[in-house]
Amino acid sequence: MDLERQQQRQTVGDITVPDPVICCRGVNVRYGDKPAIRDVSLDIAHHEVIAMIGPSGCGKSTLLRCLNRLNDTIPGAVVTGTITLDGQDIYDRQQDVVQLRARVGMVFQKPNPFPKSVYENVAYGPRIHGLAAGRAELDEIVQTSLQRAGLWDEVKDRLNQPGTALSGGQQQRLCIARTIAVSPEVILMDEPCSALDPIATARIEDLIDELRQNFTICIVTHSMQQAARVSQRTAYFHLGDLIEVGPTERIFTNPRHRLTEDYLTGRFG
Amino acid sequence: MQTSTLILVLLALSAVAYQLGRGRALQLVGGPRRRRDLHSLPAYYGLLTAVWCGLPALVVVAGWQLLDDRILTALVVDEMPAGTRALPPGELSLVLNDVRNLVAGNVAAESVTPAVAAAAQRWRRLDALGHLGASGLTLAVALAGGWLAWRRITPRLPARNHVERIAERVLLGCSLIAILTTIGIVLSVLWESIQFFRLVPVSEFVFGTQWSPQLAIRADQVGSSGAFGAVPLFAGTLLISAIAMLIAVPVGLFAAIYLAEYASRRFRTLAKPVLEVLAGIPTVVYGFFAALTVAPLLRLTGERLGLEVAAESALAAGLVMGIMIIPFVSSLADDMITAVPQSLRDGSYGLGATRSETIRRVVLRAALPGIVGGVLLAISRAVGETMIVVMAAGLSANLTANPLEAVTTVTVQIVTLLVGDQEFDSPKTLAAFALGLVLFLVTLALNIVALQVVRRYREQYE
Ligand SMILES: Nc1ncnc2c1ncn2[C@@H]1O[C@H](COP(=O)(O)OP(=O)(O)O)[C@@H](O)[C@H]1O
Ligand SMILES: [Mg+2]
Repeated sequence: MDLERQQQRQTVGDITVPDPVICCRGVNVRYGDKPAIRDVSLDIAHHEVIAMIGPSGCGKSTLLRCLNRLNDTIPGAVVTGTITLDGQDIYDRQQDVVQLRARVGMVFQKPNPFPKSVYENVAYGPRIHGLAAGRAELDEIVQTSLQRAGLWDEVKDRLNQPGTALSGGQQQRLCIARTIAVSPEVILMDEPCSALDPIATARIEDLIDELRQNFTICIVTHSMQQAARVSQRTAYFHLGDLIEVGPTERIFTNPRHRLTEDYLTGRFG
Repeated sequence: MQTSTLILVLLALSAVAYQLGRGRALQLVGGPRRRRDLHSLPAYYGLLTAVWCGLPALVVVAGWQLLDDRILTALVVDEMPAGTRALPPGELSLVLNDVRNLVAGNVAAESVTPAVAAAAQRWRRLDALGHLGASGLTLAVALAGGWLAWRRITPRLPARNHVERIAERVLLGCSLIAILTTIGIVLSVLWESIQFFRLVPVSEFVFGTQWSPQLAIRADQVGSSGAFGAVPLFAGTLLISAIAMLIAVPVGLFAAIYLAEYASRRFRTLAKPVLEVLAGIPTVVYGFFAALTVAPLLRLTGERLGLEVAAESALAAGLVMGIMIIPFVSSLADDMITAVPQSLRDGSYGLGATRSETIRRVVLRAALPGIVGGVLLAISRAVGETMIVVMAAGLSANLTANPLEAVTTVTVQIVTLLVGDQEFDSPKTLAAFALGLVLFLVTLALNIVALQVVRRYREQYE
């Protein structure tokens, strides 16, 4: 029984890629005594969109928050195993967490613009990292970030209005603009569309496709259609285990693990 | 019957009425097993009967309590000799006072005029009669009410809805009492203030720099000019409040930031109750702390430094008042900071901000309106605080910005104006009401602005 279970939990599919940005090896996370993810190993390639899917509570967000060490802010969270970014162990003592988070940005489930103006929201990251030499340069960073997030045309006349006054979809694109303003290598997105309507969702999905030119994107999603639309690779999680990884098309047309198949065919979720 | 006994009897009657009403409802449908045939649960029928038994009777009791003195007075005066009745109201009330004192046994019967003794006699008789009548009426109303309600019970009677409506009315009544009391207080303060402004022009009160409410009793008395320029009081209040806020706002705010953002859970559980204890200390205790410990200490320190510090100084009062307000500011700020959603912090951390950057640029920014509201509420507390300043700030109405001198505040002057025997229509007494009105208007404005700010902030993160 135990053996069978272990076999059942073994990751199916190729976890490695030829040219990884991020490598996770044997990552375990527990909150206090409660394990959240177990022995997850996964590579993430340059300029790919990788989707993480699975039932609620299976540890998708937890893994995502390991990649920029946001779990450090949760008391009681313990991460073991190794995660490297461009070959550097990000849980190394020498690692500067602040710098890491500038390189691995994050977009959250609920749009969370700061209670500041649209401009100041985007300028926040460049300001704290001193990325702009002067006002003109900062203006430019803000403008290009908003343009890349596909929001510029909508907000260029109201840069001084509060970011919280935008619509939900605009707020989420503002958060994306805010993230790309610090030029990260990787953008983590934790269910970025779950609070949005279908039209706003479609805009974000288009945006993700464009952003792939410049960034690596890990997206957690509840929607299998969304995973199919935006990602090249998909990872399926189940109760804290990475069950199956593979090219998105293959996973959706021909899942190899029974749990993956059950999930995709809607037997649970 | 004593009123308290009467109320106990009413309670007992209501309890009986409850049982009877409930029993009748059940009996009408034929026992507890058929209680589904009733419109409402049996208890509602009991409750309805009990309320009809108790409530109208209570109204009678309350009415009697309110009116008996007036009725008795009117009846007694009616019987007095024509000469006494023709007295001016002031003297008549003196006579009536004698009567009341005699009735209460405060003076011996030999020391009063026969007329008063006769009136007192009559008073006693009428009072006894009145009590008997009121008790009888109350009991009759209770029995009649209970009986009528009991009679009206049928299985289809929507007792539940009736009880609901009665409950609503009772709640409405209670809130009306609160509102009417407030209005009454405001109106009476307003009325007395108008009386005051008839004697002293508003402009002198608001802009005058001389405060010396002592009125000359003899023409040649010095220092008792009866000047009512309130500027020194406003200035003193402002000075002390400013000192208090200078202490309370930074300390309270930083304490709140530490507690909300940095402190371990252990420290938090320890520190919060301590702050609450600080908030629970009666202000009079702070007052003697200020007068007996802080003021002498300041004086001593001042002497060492070669400064002239008055025995009672604005600084001592302001310092202690600041300490008193710290927990108020810190607990409000703590609430506001904790109400900032974690997602905002995560967003900031996710962009590579450090903890202090996140607190400064995001958390405090988000909590700012709430904190401002809290500070405004704290100011209105400081302005209205009395005990500490009475004990530590002094009475001399100096117009000064020097915190080392003694100053006086609006609240202190109200206390001193009203302490001691005064004629009620002298400007000195009336001035207290005018000061009270100013105080009321200022704190009202502060509170309105503060609540507005806090409310707007709350809506933002629903
Ligand atoms: N801050 C936390 N403290 C304790 N347990 C947590 C915390 N966050 C998540 N968990 C637990 O870890 C498990 C994985 O959660 P999560 O990564 O949020 O799942 P998902 O994002 O896939 O829905 C869940 O069982 C959840 O209850
Ligand atoms: Mg999640």
